[in-house]
Amino acid sequence: MRTESDIPGTTQRPMERLAGQIGTFQDRFEVLAKALSLKEMARLFAGMLSSHFQEIEITLFHNAIPGKGWQQLFGGAAGDPGEAFGSIDERRFAMRYLDGEQRRASVVQPLLDRSLLGMFLSPRKVAFRFAEEDKVSLQLFGQLFASAYQPLLHRRNEKELVFSLNHRVLQLNSLIDTGIEVSKLTHEGSLPQLALERAASLTNASRGVLIVSGKDQPAERYSFPASDALGVDNDSERRIQTSFQFFDTTYTFQLYDKESRSGFIVFDETDRLLLDALTRQVHASLENRYLLQEAIDKQKIERDIAVAASIQQRILPESLPALTGYDIFGTNIPTKSVGGDYYDCIPLADGRVALVVADVAGKGIPAALLVSSFHAYLNAYLENSLPLVKLAQRLNSVICKASTEDKFITAFLALLDPTTGRMESLSAGHNPVYLVKRDRTIQELNNGGVALGMLDMEFPFSTDEVVVEPGERLFLYTDGLTEAMNAEQELYDNIRSVKEFVSNKTSPSAKQFIQEMIADVREFVGTAPQADDITVLYLVRQ
Amino acid sequence: MEQEFTLTTELRGDCLIIATAGYVNNVGGESIAREFAGHFENGIKKVIVNLGQSKVVNSIGLSFLIDIVDQLNDAGGKLIFTNLDPAVDKMLTIMGLFQFAGKESSVDDALKEFFV
Repeated sequence: MRTESDIPGTTQRPMERLAGQIGTFQDRFEVLAKALSLKEMARLFAGMLSSHFQEIEITLFHNAIPGKGWQQLFGGAAGDPGEAFGSIDERRFAMRYLDGEQRRASVVQPLLDRSLLGMFLSPRKVAFRFAEEDKVSLQLFGQLFASAYQPLLHRRNEKELVFSLNHRVLQLNSLIDTGIEVSKLTHEGSLPQLALERAASLTNASRGVLIVSGKDQPAERYSFPASDALGVDNDSERRIQTSFQFFDTTYTFQLYDKESRSGFIVFDETDRLLLDALTRQVHASLENRYLLQEAIDKQKIERDIAVAASIQQRILPESLPALTGYDIFGTNIPTKSVGGDYYDCIPLADGRVALVVADVAGKGIPAALLVSSFHAYLNAYLENSLPLVKLAQRLNSVICKASTEDKFITAFLALLDPTTGRMESLSAGHNPVYLVKRDRTIQELNNGGVALGMLDMEFPFSTDEVVVEPGERLFLYTDGLTEAMNAEQELYDNIRSVKEFVSNKTSPSAKQFIQEMIADVREFVGTAPQADDITVLYLVRQ
Repeated sequence: MEQEFTLTTELRGDCLIIATAGYVNNVGGESIAREFAGHFENGIKKVIVNLGQSKVVNSIGLSFLIDIVDQLNDAGGKLIFTNLDPAVDKMLTIMGLFQFAGKESSVDDALKEFFV
């Protein structure tokens, strides 16, 4: 501690006075080095200076970035620090007197991180003058501060490193959390906004803008933080942006003004990676949501199809009526769960039966709907005992009105008197029906006209009239049978001939005949997918 | 979407309650620090920061909060965060703030903590 005898003008020699100070420096260093903040260190340091220079008032400053402003750390008002510490060499200790009498002085001590400690010294007593050894003492004090500043700096750097590492962990964690958040299906429209919010905070952006622009609609803008100022700035130095397209909509994410404690700084590569990663998550989430919705819609359609199939199965006969003196069997094998084929054997009030096979152009729900209409109208008209040609004309008219231009029905309609075997038939654009004689020759029944629903006019249908004699057989079918295709794209009828099969094959029952025919078709088709509905109706007069 | 930053303060005895709303970024952090500094100079060492209306905090805003925690701890005081959104809570946890600051679910709970 400086005593009254140490002050300039006393009798003790300068070197002796300086030597006296050395021993206390180690103690002072240990005190200063334990300071937790720069301000605390400045306060302690000022105390040490005051105890040494008892006649002077001390004000301490810190300049974190040379060339920028000085921050007062300790002491009272000391005038303009810029003036006191102006035009100094920032690389070494410097002391200068602020008046000609060496009473007021400013001292600058460079520190390890290129920042500067500034000391402003002014006398309490009028008689005070700085001596040469005071300059040496101040230099030693400056060195002391600079040395003690290093542990503080290391602790601060360590703290910043921990902060930086924790921030990286936070960024990764937020990336994962945001991925989970945006993949939740409860966010709906707020999903991109959520990503914008996260991207802005993780990159320390001051604000963010999301622009959602569609093909034929005005762009929507969202800003973070929400404000009326939704302006877009084109200054690319201050902005990073990324965008993606989802169908006809473009999502553009823009972040502005990366913050730091000392003002705005330039976004770095990590910021771009983070923004890209977050927007990719949004893109993936939108796609997943779309695919999920598509799967839900598909499931709904499949359920509808299942209902339609169930309704259609009720349209098709579970079993055909027993006809005395006849053996009759029919089957339908649809390609999809609902099909466009139809067959039936419908007893009429006058004792006759109507034999029907029909095929709607196309498959699936539209075809099944048309089959339903055909079934309903056919049964209604049959109850009215209409002549066959009239029946076909009525059906043609209603099907024409009930269907679109590309939908029509080919049908074979026959009215059979089971007692006599007399049968009147009409083919509305359908495949010829085979009447197999006892000698196995085949009479094709194909008189009729155009398919039902093609032309809305009273078409002059013609009919066949035959008698199905005992031992004769009648074979009705749709083109799904003749056009059944194998893996080599060959048609069943071209290779094995339906007509020859029907002619040559006899079975103990109508049911077995059809089972054997279907087995033959399946064996021919092999692993190839079924191309069309197959419907057959087989009647044997015993 | 998060609003622009606003701040309100209240003194209950020797306890300062700072309630924020909106994005705690550089601007928000500075506002909190400025408000705190004014009271700290007057000897306030018990501080409650209610972040209930702030769902987003960036690391610059956080650095101001850390400075306040440091200053209070150095002076033998304490800061308690309240009404934290889960995302903010997680952020402060990851950044290690709760090693040096408290956390309560409400301002009333924090006041009880200070005045028990």
